[in-house]
Amino acid sequence: MYTFPNGLYSDIRIEDVFETKIELTDGRLDEIKEKEYKGAFIRVFDGKRWYYSATSDIEGIQDELDDLAKLAEASDAIDNHPVVKKFEVNQGDFCEFTGDKDIASTNIEDKKTLLKGYTDLLKGHDTITSLKSYYVDKRKKKTFYSSKGANLTFDFQMAGLRLAFSLKKRDKLFSESYDGSSAVFGDLKNKEKEVQEHFNKAVEFLNTAEDIKAGKYTVIFSPLAAGVFAHESFGHKSESDFMVGDEAMRKEWTMGKKVGADLLSIIDDGNPDGSGHVTFDDEGTRAKKTYLIKDGILSGRLHSSSTAAYLEEDVTGNGRAINFEYEPIVRMTTTYIDKGNKTLDELISEVEDGVLVETIKHGSGMSTFTIAPSLAYAIKDGKLSHPLKISVVSGNVFKTLNEIDGVSDTIQLHSFVLGGCGKMEQYPLSVGFGGPYVRVNNLDVQ
Amino acid sequence: MIKEKYTINSEETSLNLVQTQIESVRKKNITKTGFRVYKDEKIGVSGAIGHYNEQEQWEKAQKALSLNIEYPYEVSKDLEKSVEKTCDFADGVAFTREMEELLKALREKHPQFIFSNKINLVTNMVTMENDKGLNLHSKISKIEASILIKEKSSPDLMDAFMGMEGTRWDREEFLRMVNLTCEGLEKSAEIDSGMHKVVMIPFGCEFMGKLYSELHGLKYGTGGSLFSGKIGEQLFCDQFTLYQSLSAEDGILSPFFDAEGTVNNGERYTLIENGVLKSPYTDKKYARQFNLEHTGSAGGGYDSVPSLAPSPLVIKKSEKTLKEMLEGEKVILAFFASGGDFTPEGKYATPVQTSFLFDGERLLGRLPQLNITSHLNDMFGKDFIGVAKDSFTTLFPMHLPVMNMKVEKV
Repeated sequence: MYTFPNGLYSDIRIEDVFETKIELTDGRLDEIKEKEYKGAFIRVFDGKRWYYSATSDIEGIQDELDDLAKLAEASDAIDNHPVVKKFEVNQGDFCEFTGDKDIASTNIEDKKTLLKGYTDLLKGHDTITSLKSYYVDKRKKKTFYSSKGANLTFDFQMAGLRLAFSLKKRDKLFSESYDGSSAVFGDLKNKEKEVQEHFNKAVEFLNTAEDIKAGKYTVIFSPLAAGVFAHESFGHKSESDFMVGDEAMRKEWTMGKKVGADLLSIIDDGNPDGSGHVTFDDEGTRAKKTYLIKDGILSGRLHSSSTAAYLEEDVTGNGRAINFEYEPIVRMTTTYIDKGNKTLDELISEVEDGVLVETIKHGSGMSTFTIAPSLAYAIKDGKLSHPLKISVVSGNVFKTLNEIDGVSDTIQLHSFVLGGCGKMEQYPLSVGFGGPYVRVNNLDVQ
Repeated sequence: MIKEKYTINSEETSLNLVQTQIESVRKKNITKTGFRVYKDEKIGVSGAIGHYNEQEQWEKAQKALSLNIEYPYEVSKDLEKSVEKTCDFADGVAFTREMEELLKALREKHPQFIFSNKINLVTNMVTMENDKGLNLHSKISKIEASILIKEKSSPDLMDAFMGMEGTRWDREEFLRMVNLTCEGLEKSAEIDSGMHKVVMIPFGCEFMGKLYSELHGLKYGTGGSLFSGKIGEQLFCDQFTLYQSLSAEDGILSPFFDAEGTVNNGERYTLIENGVLKSPYTDKKYARQFNLEHTGSAGGGYDSVPSLAPSPLVIKKSEKTLKEMLEGEKVILAFFASGGDFTPEGKYATPVQTSFLFDGERLLGRLPQLNITSHLNDMFGKDFIGVAKDSFTTLFPMHLPVMNMKVEKV
């Protein structure tokens, strides 16, 4: 146990990490490794400024803590500081991935065999010019102590694979990938049919995709694309650190304001299994379900303890860091659009001339959001038509949220082990996306 | 058996800015060490973060040879070189004190703006040594700033950005650049849709992405690149020369060697010369596999098998200044143009989130949201005007590229 300095708030986050990485090119082994390491992030707050230290020297944590305390100005009133009052004090062992569930207990040869199997399924296809296969897993056990009395241990685990293939037929080129992931290794098995179907779609795209005629279109986003849309278009704006000290933004983002169509609800929740799962955030706050938009009305935002104190709202469990080298900042967990009441067929049947975006390369969001589609299809006279080559779909966020006019009745949540969300210096953070199929009018498609 | 040790130490003082004030100070000093052994055309790797038992790590690396990862390439050897670049700040204390002064000046000069995000003082030390006479050492101290600028009345999360990565600090020049940006934000400007000269801020615009993907050695060698089989062919205009660069002259403050210990002359390798494709970028593996030139572009983590990864790609400067290239025209300065992409065939489209009307010196006013479109072949072909020979700031090399593009108001 650590001795916390008097007159200051302090906390310590220790991360105990196990990782596996296997990489193949055209079935040949490029890389196979397991590694384990520990690191710690130490924070001290004196009511005016934070002092942080990131270290890999676990034995030296007390010294680091004492050194940080020397930089700060101790105050008898620290416990009454609004930020300090916001910190939850949770205690106990909440680890979920122990014993056989721990990914470290699965033999690395089994992981390699799994990846090799999926690779062999695609290898040798006459349209493939190169095939990169990745297996990645990570188990992270976090221990958190604070000067307020928090003392808890919790964990996170994900395993997954990616098959990234470049295709060519005569002068036509196309690259696409299949991603699969789960917190449990066994869930990654028996995906052959799914992999093959995805690959077949990519080949069909290569052979038949046509250029889009740039213009305004009604776009139906798949659950994956809808999740990225929610994350980029509104999720980042719900991260309340951008509002601290900014009176104009506080007024602009008043709760209860109408910001989207009535059928739109966007949720951030750290509880569901997957890559956005957090039992506790990196400040020791329990994960919570937060409606960012409910029935088109601004209903909540995401907080760390600091931002919750500043805006006089409740903590939401969104203080997160990408690893032990960084401080927690306000980040999303699993962000998704809530379901509606139409089927996908109904959504498509009501579109005369539109686009269905099925998979994406990337997305971004400021006042304008962007989605760069990979697999996309034309919709003509209420029916799905030919594949389309599209550079980017974009729109003004606030106009777009009011242009949503249809939401399907089933939610899918997606997880990933490669890539993640970037916010300033902290990339990649493991997050989840999802939603139903979502129809949006008047988007710029180029 | 050959043993090779790869050590990366990162020491940092990071200041987080909130509301033009220092909100936090972060210290970091972390060492990551990779241990590689080469035997019978195989490689074994182990790694450690922080303290380690050297004997144990070498044993782990030797054990990893049994994983049968092929490495039938000559290990870099017989080269000793050390490069150290110092920075204007001796330590984090002096750095923090100076940044307090900078922020005070920003609060006084620009009370209608909010400045936030990070300013860091970073020292990265990287060494690679093996028992074949390789001993490479790089130590670079630098200032990294990524400051978000927001008008207090703006509904956006940010309006502009002031970035720098350099070894020299000049508060007055930094303030001049911020002033320039804030003056531009305070006025609005208009431009008609059509073809226009567009000046790109390289760190805010993603217009080079297709060059990185199509010049990848594996993609090229397997026939999946738009450029496959075109070595020796004219791809772009005569004025377009492209380097793979680790040179400080190009504003790159990285070690002078790649993850396989390859050192290029002048820390550059020419991939496209006067529009003609010379080579894709390669590591030892793909240079041999596809009989390509070895350009020294291996990357990977401290404990990884080295693998092909792009080094920064830099377009050669022209003989003209920015003013000369603009020929007295008022043009578009694209500050942020992100989120767009290329189609497989090279058509390019992106929204421009922040742009200004620009005369080569002053930002004459903020333009409305724009979309720009082009094609890879045109951007660096008939529509390419050049990269300015003069730097837009003395803080670090910032040679701005200019090209004609189709611009539409959203």
